Amino acid sequence: MRTFRILLSKELRSFFLSPIAYVVLALVMLFNGVAFYASVRILQTAPSEGSLVTWTFNSPWFYLSYFTIFPLITMRLFSEEQKLGTIETLLTAPVRTTEMIFSKYVATVIFYCVLWLPSLLNFYVFQWITRGMADIPTGQLIGSYTIVLTMGLFNIAIGCFASSLTKNQIVAAILSFSMILLHFLLGAFMLYLSGQSNQQYAELTSYFASIQHIKSFASGLIDTRPIIYYLSFTALVLSLTHQVLDFRRWKV
Amino acid sequence: MIDVKNLTKRYVGRTAVDNISFEVGQGEIVGFLGPNGAGKTTTLRMLTSYLPPSSGTVSIAGFDVFRDSLKARKQIGYMPENVPLYEDMRVKEYLYFRAKLKGLSGKDMRERIGKVMDRCGVTDVRKKMISSLSKGYRQRVGLADTLVHSPQLLILDEPTNGLDPNQIRQVRELVKELGQDHTILISTHILPEVEATCDRVIIISEGKVRASDTPQNLVNRLRTAGTISVEVKADPSAAADKMTRIVGVRKVAKDSVDEDGWCRFTLRVEASSDVREELYNMAIANHWPLRELARHHATLEDVFVEVTQSEQV
Repeated sequence: MRTFRILLSKELRSFFLSPIAYVVLALVMLFNGVAFYASVRILQTAPSEGSLVTWTFNSPWFYLSYFTIFPLITMRLFSEEQKLGTIETLLTAPVRTTEMIFSKYVATVIFYCVLWLPSLLNFYVFQWITRGMADIPTGQLIGSYTIVLTMGLFNIAIGCFASSLTKNQIVAAILSFSMILLHFLLGAFMLYLSGQSNQQYAELTSYFASIQHIKSFASGLIDTRPIIYYLSFTALVLSLTHQVLDFRRWKV
Repeated sequence: MIDVKNLTKRYVGRTAVDNISFEVGQGEIVGFLGPNGAGKTTTLRMLTSYLPPSSGTVSIAGFDVFRDSLKARKQIGYMPENVPLYEDMRVKEYLYFRAKLKGLSGKDMRERIGKVMDRCGVTDVRKKMISSLSKGYRQRVGLADTLVHSPQLLILDEPTNGLDPNQIRQVRELVKELGQDHTILISTHILPEVEATCDRVIIISEGKVRASDTPQNLVNRLRTAGTISVEVKADPSAAADKMTRIVGVRKVAKDSVDEDGWCRFTLRVEASSDVREELYNMAIANHWPLRELARHHATLEDVFVEVTQSEQV
């Protein structure tokens, strides 16, 4: 546990002392700001079914940040250690591979949460400047941020996995981007299929379709199935990462 | 201190380390030599538990590096080749991070870090970013890291790689000094360093141990150790004939004869015998003017070349 804490604080430190962190933070703030502004515009022009929250989380700008964040914050994790060779000094010190992986993973999750904080503030600031006139349903807010966090856990695990595969950060970024996009498209495709044909796909679809998850959570419906789905896949992908890093050393 | 038994590392289609066994005793300074690609780094990585062996066992201070890995690692200060360091940290920060990882804390840690920074000469750069350090300083920071938890065993993979002659001398002094209270396994290509500092030498080539002995014994066993060169003014064939008859001389080779009548010979003698006195007396007795009489001291370099290029000594 002590080793984990030492590694975690080192990882957090290298996140917050690197320029990349602030570039990503600025980018995400910009995307979220635009998404928020777009949803305010929609509600301004005509009466609409959705609320400020549902429109924000259905905006293309939200998806833009969703696809760019993960490769940017995870590409460095293991690739850099492998490139510099510091993974050798790290793993010949009394450090377990699991401790190394978890410290990097948890640090990235913490940074990810920090990235989303400003967007949460947007809603409160808006409510404050409109003197409580704006209707911001708390349930939808809780739902939205729950799904953003759970999908984040899953996608960061994918990013870790991609980064463990290569020494090259660019390759790691492209790999994780492709994997996250593929998962997303697979969900969208399943959704399309279930709309097209028989009912038997519909059940399966509810597990894969990220769009559907975002929509239902953003309207305040907290469904435990996707949460379990994402968390169990997170565990799977992290254990794969462990396998890759150990296998690299075995190289039979 | 180190006990290696039948250690083997196989990669797909290639055996990097082939069934090697050796021991390193407490307090020894051992030079680990071999040509590039001989399997030195692979072996050192297995000793430090970075690479798992395909078969065989390694134990460090009684701990198996595979089964008791964390305990074994605590006994080792390992400096990998090319000294990997985190570029985005300051020197002091890096050493604190490493010391904490290796289980130090509090006042003890602060004192220890101060001591190793002084010892390795990095106190004046302690606030600099590692990315801005020169090669020599990076090497010293790496060395400070290996020493920080006062390990019993130091494993240094080419610590003098890329340093200038002054820095190499400093590292040699430091290694000698450290050798008083540490066991050291050091891999290097700079053979005079090894001769000057190491108690024992292990030479490996193509994944096998080719020789393991003190530098002096290795040199003595070498064929080229028994060479004497003589330059006299005499009739070449008569002189050669007479010299061949001296006890202990195996072979006389005539190198050159110049127009003034000076002949050069190279005599191959038994490794243990020194026939220079007989040669001198023979020259006096035959009235041969003598202008050179020298015994060649073979160096570890000769041993290295012979061992790694041909069969076993």
